[in-house]
Amino acid sequence: MDFDYTPSELMATAGAREIKDREVVAVGLGLPVVASLLAKKTHAPNMTMLFELGVVDPEPIEPAVGLADPRVWYRAKVLSSFVDILGSILHKGRVDVGFLGGLETDQYGNLNTSLVGDPHGKFRHMVGSGGANDIASSAKRTILIIRHDARKLKKTISFVTSPGYVSGGDSRAKAGMSGGPSRVITDKAIFGFHPETKQMMVLSIHPGNTIEDVVGTMGFAPVVPKQVPFTEPPDKEQLRMIREVIDPQKMYMG
Amino acid sequence: MEKLTTLAEAVASIPSGSHVALPGFPITRCAMAFAREVIRQGIKGLTISSCVGAMDGDLLVGGGAVERMIYGGGSLDRFGRLNCVNRGIEDGSLQAEEYSSLSVAFRYLAGSLGLPFMPIKSLQGSDLLTRIQEHTGSDVAYIADPFTGEKWLVLKPLLPDVSVQLVHTADAEGNAWIMGPRWDNVEQAKASKRTIILAEHVVTTEAIRQQAERTVIPGILVSHVVEVPFSAHPTSVYREYDYDAKEIEKYVKATSTPESLKAYLDEYVYGVKDHWGYLEKIGGMKHLNTLKADPILGY
Repeated sequence: MDFDYTPSELMATAGAREIKDREVVAVGLGLPVVASLLAKKTHAPNMTMLFELGVVDPEPIEPAVGLADPRVWYRAKVLSSFVDILGSILHKGRVDVGFLGGLETDQYGNLNTSLVGDPHGKFRHMVGSGGANDIASSAKRTILIIRHDARKLKKTISFVTSPGYVSGGDSRAKAGMSGGPSRVITDKAIFGFHPETKQMMVLSIHPGNTIEDVVGTMGFAPVVPKQVPFTEPPDKEQLRMIREVIDPQKMYMG
Repeated sequence: MEKLTTLAEAVASIPSGSHVALPGFPITRCAMAFAREVIRQGIKGLTISSCVGAMDGDLLVGGGAVERMIYGGGSLDRFGRLNCVNRGIEDGSLQAEEYSSLSVAFRYLAGSLGLPFMPIKSLQGSDLLTRIQEHTGSDVAYIADPFTGEKWLVLKPLLPDVSVQLVHTADAEGNAWIMGPRWDNVEQAKASKRTIILAEHVVTTEAIRQQAERTVIPGILVSHVVEVPFSAHPTSVYREYDYDAKEIEKYVKATSTPESLKAYLDEYVYGVKDHWGYLEKIGGMKHLNTLKADPILGY
């Protein structure tokens, strides 16, 4: 089957659809920026976008190499600090949605951005938390965006940098946290979490994939409901926005 | 006391083994000239801290100046990992205590306010917390909220011996302006015993008085003021100059092995007399002029 969109464009669109108008959204760089800007330029014009270092609602006109690139601060409404954004807005409970990416996640949506390998033996150290652990702890809900691969969707992850539903059931609440992951968006499917066990659950599969394609390339067995619909593909306007307005140089969507 | 001095004198005021809070955020406003001078002077055994690890900390680790690092994770954005920091963590030569951005910010905030501890909702249910408990034993604890009885994780304040701040503008007393986002810099300065100001521009106190609402670090916190233009090179300073992509790429490549790192240090740190020599080395005014920021864009 031929599609007129790429898996990344579908993921960005699926991310954008999770954001409601007037919500406050904390984002890292990459696909989440595209998803957030897409939501803001389409159905959620009154949403607020936050970057941890102290940036609110920028309107970048050039692609950036990361959050430390002033290109992504351009035309911001606020330029302040960690205590201002992660403290007074996030820790206070004012962030509705946090977008997180990572190296690995498990069936409870716990996320690793710290290291690959054996933390007590031989390992390769990566980025670590940044604001990810803070967002995973205090946002009302989080959305994880990750490539669909058995090496990334694992039964046991090497390190829990940012907590999801910890060990399932009510363990997150017992650890003193509300919120938790609401969606996991991969390049093959969208997952939610079972209301009681908090195990990852298939919500929709992207057009062109079968349920076997989805489940067979994961390191754990997700909950699979009897009826699984296809993910709604991006519409023409969303694709135009991504390609012509948000990321014309394919910096994030390459 | 006269605070206005040279970079060499300001750096020489830091004894080996001190705790230094660093100003950089991955590849922006990193205290690179400072790090190069610390390495040249042979200062060792430092504890360094920052909410997010950046290029200044990575170079200090690569230059053998650091024993311990307190940070919330970090990278060089798309240019790559913190090669020296990561290698130190992987081979055990660097004692790294890894938090999240906000937990380090709250540790500085507690220090800046003179509070004994700071409650936080972050870190719970994570391996970051387990590792911090294993590594430090006493920098985190639990207490009961005296009003509600609710259990809270609390963090110990960070009280660095000195914070180094790379600012746009300051006067000779150290009253300093930072343009753009300030991440953890103001809390770092206020939590530390003293602050060294590296300013792109030193101006008169009268100029500061004209727009005093811009002053984010008051001079009373400051021990030394140094005018060091382009001191963040190859990282950026918002509204002053852009990052130097080629020089950062060169650094990432060089730091990928201990051998190539040694060659890099020999050329860019030990191979030049001072910051002015470094600026000549990387192409002088002709090259630096190509990095100057557009006043509207800020980069």
